[in-house]
Amino acid sequence: MDIYFIIFAIMALGGALFTITAKDALPSALGLLTVFIALSALYLHLHAPLIAIFQVTIYAGAILVLVVFVIMLLMTPDEKLEAAQKNMAYRIMGAVLGAYLTALTVVGVKGISELISANELPEGFGHPGLLGDLFFKKYLLHFEMASVLLLVALIAGIYLAKKRI
Amino acid sequence: MGAIMDQYVILSCLLFGIGAIGFLTRRNALILFMSVELMLNAINLMLVSFSHQRADMSGQVMVLFIFAVAAAEVAVGLAILISLFKHIKSVDINKFNLLKW
Repeated sequence: MDIYFIIFAIMALGGALFTITAKDALPSALGLLTVFIALSALYLHLHAPLIAIFQVTIYAGAILVLVVFVIMLLMTPDEKLEAAQKNMAYRIMGAVLGAYLTALTVVGVKGISELISANELPEGFGHPGLLGDLFFKKYLLHFEMASVLLLVALIAGIYLAKKRI
Repeated sequence: MGAIMDQYVILSCLLFGIGAIGFLTRRNALILFMSVELMLNAINLMLVSFSHQRADMSGQVMVLFIFAVAAAEVAVGLAILISLFKHIKSVDINKFNLLKW
């Protein structure tokens, strides 16, 4: 385990814990920002420079700004929400279910990771040019479907914002 | 190689679990939203680390598709949240009980 991974893993885990424990939504968004930046550094470590850049521009740039915008729009000062569910059974059940899910995924995915054979990295792995090649040859149909999905989301967003529903 | 893989897989599972716990225990709808983002990011990390292990770049392409889905989800979800807020004047999910009986 190298020091680079440890630093950014601790940063990501700390940010994630802060996200779900912060009392207000705005500090929580800052915790999420920490997670995004740490993950982008980890992507660089995994030879995925384009994903790292997109992580910063799309997630930390676009999505988080939208979330912060809505937080600013919706947070009324007189509404004081408690941090967690008031019902104790909810909290306990949620924590138990989450811990169970984590354990299950760790066990299951570790099994998979042993099955997957490790290949030697080819020359230029993770180069954006190769990624674009894959995008416009092998995954062209999926790419077009993603753009249709974005168009649908765009129309839905405009409709929901405009009409009095 | 295997050791590198395992540490990333465990980190991503932990992030997913933290997101799931946040989703199940918080009551602020915006923080629920951010927990979902956290889970999506955990899956992205896992895909990239599998792609690194297999030396196959298809995993990274899939991550870019997840980016598109996440962007669409945020746009529609926040629009729904705003129009819910217009009616109920709250972001407390316990008050969103239109579909309960």
